[in-house]
Amino acid sequence: MSALLEIENLSRSFGGLRALSDVSFTVGEGEIVSVIGPNGAGKTTLFNVISGVMPPSAGDVRFNGRSLVGMPSHAIAEAGIGRTYQVVRPFVRLDVLDNVAVGALLHERTLAQARKAAEKVLAMVGLAHLAGAPASSLTLTQRKRLEVARALATRPKLLLLDEVMAGLNPTEIDSMCAFILGLREHGIAAIGAIEHLMRVVMNVSQRIVVLDFGRKIAEGTPAEIAAHPDVIAAYFGSELSVG
Amino acid sequence: MIAKRAGYAVLALLFVVLLLAPLSGNGYIVSLCYITALFVALAYGWNLISGYAGYLSFGQITFFGIGAYAVAIGVTRFHLPWYLCAALGGVACAALAVPMGWLMLRLRGPFFALGMLGLAQTARILTNLTPISGGSEGIYLPPGANAIAAYYWTLAIMVGGVVLTAAIDRNAFGLRLRALREDERAAGTLGVDTTRSNVQAFVLSAIFPALLGGGYAWYLTYVEPNSIYSTEIELQTVAMAILGGMGTLWGPLVGGLIMSQVSESLSTRFPQTHLMIFGALIVVLLIALPRGIVPAVAAFLKKRGIA
Amino acid sequence: MRPELVLQLTIDGLLLGGVFALAALGLNVIFGVTRIVNLAHGNIVVLTALSAAIAFQRFGITPIEGLPVAMVGGALLGVIIDRLILRRLPEDAPTAETTSLLLTFGVSYFLVGLSLAIFTGDFRSVAYLTGSWLVGPLSIGKSRFLAFAVAIVIAAMLGVLLRSTKIGRALRAASQNLDGARACGVSIDRMRTLSFGLGSAIAAAAGALLSMIYAVNPDSGSQFTLIAFSVVALGGLGSYAGALLGSAILGLAVSFVGFFGNTQLGAMMPYVVFILVLLFRPSGLLGKSVA
Repeated sequence: MSALLEIENLSRSFGGLRALSDVSFTVGEGEIVSVIGPNGAGKTTLFNVISGVMPPSAGDVRFNGRSLVGMPSHAIAEAGIGRTYQVVRPFVRLDVLDNVAVGALLHERTLAQARKAAEKVLAMVGLAHLAGAPASSLTLTQRKRLEVARALATRPKLLLLDEVMAGLNPTEIDSMCAFILGLREHGIAAIGAIEHLMRVVMNVSQRIVVLDFGRKIAEGTPAEIAAHPDVIAAYFGSELSVG
Repeated sequence: MIAKRAGYAVLALLFVVLLLAPLSGNGYIVSLCYITALFVALAYGWNLISGYAGYLSFGQITFFGIGAYAVAIGVTRFHLPWYLCAALGGVACAALAVPMGWLMLRLRGPFFALGMLGLAQTARILTNLTPISGGSEGIYLPPGANAIAAYYWTLAIMVGGVVLTAAIDRNAFGLRLRALREDERAAGTLGVDTTRSNVQAFVLSAIFPALLGGGYAWYLTYVEPNSIYSTEIELQTVAMAILGGMGTLWGPLVGGLIMSQVSESLSTRFPQTHLMIFGALIVVLLIALPRGIVPAVAAFLKKRGIA
Repeated sequence: MRPELVLQLTIDGLLLGGVFALAALGLNVIFGVTRIVNLAHGNIVVLTALSAAIAFQRFGITPIEGLPVAMVGGALLGVIIDRLILRRLPEDAPTAETTSLLLTFGVSYFLVGLSLAIFTGDFRSVAYLTGSWLVGPLSIGKSRFLAFAVAIVIAAMLGVLLRSTKIGRALRAASQNLDGARACGVSIDRMRTLSFGLGSAIAAAAGALLSMIYAVNPDSGSQFTLIAFSVVALGGLGSYAGALLGSAILGLAVSFVGFFGNTQLGAMMPYVVFILVLLFRPSGLLGKSVA
């Protein structure tokens, strides 16, 4: 059977710089995959290409067997891929509820219905009490949650989470982990891009893809990755020994 | 709550005054009311693309011109009733705005503004060069009791502007526009078809000047490229929306009401320096009151706990 | 079509392009450093051209003699626009890009109104150095040639200034990488003002030279704003050779269309070129420059 998401020989260059080079991997239904690698390894570029923010230079992205290449980003959202941005930028002049309602409009016809759906999503991420607050008043943690809520409101089958843990304290990280694990119960697959936090990666993901300078240098289960000599050498050996 | 009720009362009173003004039989009052309704309605049209969608357009006068010429040409050469021509002008501009919007809205931010600025110039030059438009000679329409009919036409469009904006303020389309005004990329990944929403806003905001231009031709009974594709009208419209508050429901009304009275007294006193004063006014307003009157008053009332 | 005519129109177009290039180089300096679309740029060109016309008519001062004064005046105007107007933007202004665009829109019509009040709406130019040199079957307008030559000299001086002086290098650094320049101790604040002053002085020079070959009225301002942006769109931001090439193309377009259609159609060309460039290179040089 074909996987939910198939990434095949994907490349993307900027001028002479290859930000992504011949990357292939798949994500199954309800699977949580982490993409790890240092800053500049190509994680955000990967997300930008999958979500249609920029076209690939070569290669293919298929979702449910259908190629996404050349589709505008709203059509990709419609197909069932939600994403968050690493730099969270809510619509600051809208309140929290309407921020989420924008995403909910994808499936709801009226604004009232969208707001009702948005309320449910806000409850899921624990922001229900802030529904009426202006988005500009949120703290970083709350903004990260809002970012996830907005994407979730589009009812994705696959969620791309770009550094949702960055900047959070340990307690907040734990609750975000629990939240991501909870996605499975809703049948939502996820790809998380993470720079640090090996503990999180090991606990949450079923599979890990390691990027370095735009290339995939390893792929496997957390246990396999932890034992992979190239990975230890190239990237996070020191951190593992500490953690 | 009190503020809101008072607001609606003022609004109702204003509407009654504007509705009954022609009964006074005073030509000056009619012309003042006409100018007021015209500019408020133009500001509502401009507010949709530039206030709500966030694409500054300095070329909406293009549609105003097309509407005016639709009436002038339709009435004098094809002997059609003026309101039919004006309506057709509106339809034509709506149809034209679809491909034009699709094209122009690919230009980002300031370049859209530049593109629209050039478009207005091009329209003026082309009108000058087209034989059917009478070139720089212009076209005279049959005079008669035109002013009253044109006035009610304009007033109806102004009310239409308020109603449409109020609807957009509380519907899904409006939320999409406000989202993509802030961050087009994020709105796109949340499933908003940004091109489609922008083009829709562009089309709506083209219909207003088109219909109003038709009424203007009938009101003036004379059209000529330089006075129809008027930079002054464009400039005043923009200044009014800024004064009242861009992207707000009541901004165009408040800004238009105040500014058209100011403009009227300025143009009689300083006919030469009209453009200069309006240019300076825009600059001063943006520095002193960047969000406009309506948001400033709303913030003030909220602080005092009145609204 | 006779080959001499083609050659003649080509020469006329290229000479005109030289003056366009100057207007565009001024814009390049401002836009490069500040990323502000200054809608009043063309108005500075036109205001200077009209002043030059009056100075010649009333006092017999030729545009070349008046060039230093024009440039100082342009520089002052640019500094005023930056320091007195754009800097006054409140910190909490809704969005800086929108507001600065509206501000320069206001300034541009202030200048149109000012020019109308001073110079009326008449089209004006300077009837200085009329006559032509005949080279075989071709005639080269003396004023056209002089304007072109001086424009090239000023453009070259600007090039030297940007490449070989400390201030010029700081300006170029600021336009390539604002954060990098700041990190190297370049005062961005001063660079902004400097770029407005220098860019507007160049625009004023273009205006003075333009008055010798092209009749303008106060309404022509936005036409020259569009010309300058079209050239930047064609040639690329910060590219010296690009600006020259872009201006040549525009000058040729105006010259040929003006001859075969009429001058009004010719005046439309900058806009047509502007749209065509953006359509066929939507993510091209301009797209990148805004990002």
